[in-house]
Amino acid sequence: MKKQLTGIIFVFLLMVFHTHVHAGGMFGPPQTLSSTTGGLNTAIGFRYYTDTYKNHMHYKVRQNIIYSHAAWGKAGIWEIYARLAAAEMKMFDVFRFGSTVYGNGENDFRDTWQFMGTAGAKVFYPVNSFFGAGLFVQGNFNPGKYSDETPLLYNGSPLVADLKIKNLWDINFGGGLQLTLPYDIRAYAGPFVYLARADVRSSLNVPGLLFGTEKTVLKNRSPVGGYFGADIPLIRGFRLNIEGQYTDSFSAGAAIAYIY
Amino acid sequence: MKHTLFLLVITTWLILFLAPPCAAVTQSTPEDKQTVSSSDDASGKEMEKAVDDTPASPYDDDEYGDDEYDYEDEPFSEERVTIDDPLEPVNRVANIFNDRMYFWVLKPVAQAYKFVAPEPARISVKNFFFHLGYPARFLNCLLQTDFAGAGEETGRFVINTIWGIGGLMDPAAGEKINLQKQDTDLGETLGVYGVGHGFYIVWPVFGPSSTRDSATFIDRHLLYPTSYFCPWYASTALTAFDYVNSASLRIGEYESLIGAAIDPYTAMRNAYVQYRLKSVKARRARSLLFRENEIRPSVTK
Repeated sequence: MKKQLTGIIFVFLLMVFHTHVHAGGMFGPPQTLSSTTGGLNTAIGFRYYTDTYKNHMHYKVRQNIIYSHAAWGKAGIWEIYARLAAAEMKMFDVFRFGSTVYGNGENDFRDTWQFMGTAGAKVFYPVNSFFGAGLFVQGNFNPGKYSDETPLLYNGSPLVADLKIKNLWDINFGGGLQLTLPYDIRAYAGPFVYLARADVRSSLNVPGLLFGTEKTVLKNRSPVGGYFGADIPLIRGFRLNIEGQYTDSFSAGAAIAYIY
Repeated sequence: MKHTLFLLVITTWLILFLAPPCAAVTQSTPEDKQTVSSSDDASGKEMEKAVDDTPASPYDDDEYGDDEYDYEDEPFSEERVTIDDPLEPVNRVANIFNDRMYFWVLKPVAQAYKFVAPEPARISVKNFFFHLGYPARFLNCLLQTDFAGAGEETGRFVINTIWGIGGLMDPAAGEKINLQKQDTDLGETLGVYGVGHGFYIVWPVFGPSSTRDSATFIDRHLLYPTSYFCPWYASTALTAFDYVNSASLRIGEYESLIGAAIDPYTAMRNAYVQYRLKSVKARRARSLLFRENEIRPSVTK
C-alpha cells in the first residue's frame, strides 16, 4: 500500500514535470526576484548539463538535474539561496579497453538519480531602473556515489569492473549585467570562473582500464564560461527563467519561480 | 499494536453508530423539546428538528413564510443546535481526562516547544501536516460531488509541493493564486449525504466527536501517509508532534472557551456541534448533487 501510494505520487509528479528535470547550477538573473521589502521566492527547475573533465585524458560528462530552489532576498540587491536537486549522470567512453582486455558491456558509465545540494548568494547594484550589475558565488556538492559496472574478459577470465564516481563538487564565481525590458522582462549575461572536481575509482587494476583501484581526481577542463538568460513574468506571481551556459560545452536550463 | 488500536476504534465506532439512535431519542428531554421530521428531506432520511414548546410568537405567521429562521426581529434569541448525549456521564469523564491531559501534558510541552521554535517554523510544520492530508480531502471532495473543491485541492497540492517547499509553505492560499483550503473529512461527507450527528462522543485524547464524525478516524487512518510509517511508534510520534505543534499555535483558545462557560462540558459540546453543523452546511452548498436537497438541521430556538 505504501509502495503503491509512493508510486502514484511519483508518477503524478513525473507527469507534472513532463518527465525531464535538470540539476544544480543555473545562476539566474543577477537581481533577486524577492520583493523589495524582503521575502521568499521558490522555484522548480530543470537543467541539462554537459562539461568535459580531465586527468591525462578528457571525459565528456552529461547530467540531467531537477531541483527545488528556495531563496531569501531583500531590497532588490541581495539574495541567499539553497537548492536540493536530484541528478543522474553519464560519462562517455570510460569503459574503453586496451588490447589485452575485451569488454562486452557498454562504453559509457551511467547511473540514476542521486541527491545534490547547492548554496549560493548574489548581490546586485542597480545603476538605474533599467540597468544593473551583480556578482554571485555558487557551490554544488553531490554527497552521493555514482556507480556502474561493466563485464569484461581478461586473459580469458570473465571479470566485472565496478567504477565509482563520488565527491562531485564545483564552485562558481561570476558577474552579470542585467537589462530590464518592458513588461518586467529581465535579460542578463556575464562571465564566470569555476572549479569542478570528482573522484573516480575502479574495483579492478587491469591493464587497459582507464581507472584503477587508486583514486583518480578529475578536474574541469575549462576554467571559465559564460552565461546568458532571461527572466519572464508569467501570471499570479510566477516567473519563468531560461538560461544557457557555455564552458567547454553547452548547458541549458529552465525554472519556474514563485514570488511570495 | 497500532492496527489493533485502529480496529478497536473502528469496532467501537461501528457499535456506537449502529446501535443507539433510538436510545438517543428516548433519552432526550421531551418536556423541553418536541421532535418533528423534516418535511423537505427529499432523500427520505429523517432529520430531527427540536423547537420550543412555547406559545407561537406574533412573527410565526408572517407573510414570507420563513418563520423558522426569521429571528432578526428578536434580538435576544439565538440559534442553538442540540445533539443527543446519552453517554454524558462517560463523556464527562473523558472530557475531564482530556482537560487534564491538556493542562498537565499538552500545554506545558506546547509552551516549551513554542519557546524553542519560532512561529514561522511552527506554521510551516502545521502547513506540512495539513499538506499530507491531501488524499483524504481530495477523496472526500469527490464523494461530496464537489469537483471544483477536488480541483482546488489538487491545485493546492501541486503548487504547495513544488513552490511551497514540499508543503512547508502555502503559496496557493495567497492573494495571487487564491486556492483556498478544502478542509473536509468523512464525517462531513456523511453529513452532506444527510446522515445526522448521531450522538455526542468525547474520545479520550482525540476530543469531541459524534457517532457520525467518528468515521473521520477511518479516512484519517487509511489516507494519511504517516499512518503507514514503520515502526508504529514513528507514526505515533509524528501524530503527537502534529498535536503539540497545533496546540502551540492555539494556546489560550481552549482556556477562553472554558473560562467563559458555566459548564465547560456543555460549552464544548455546543461549540463542537455548531462548528460541525456550519461545516456540513458549507460543504453541502458546494456539492453538485446535494445542494438542491437542502436538509434542515436540528435547530432549537
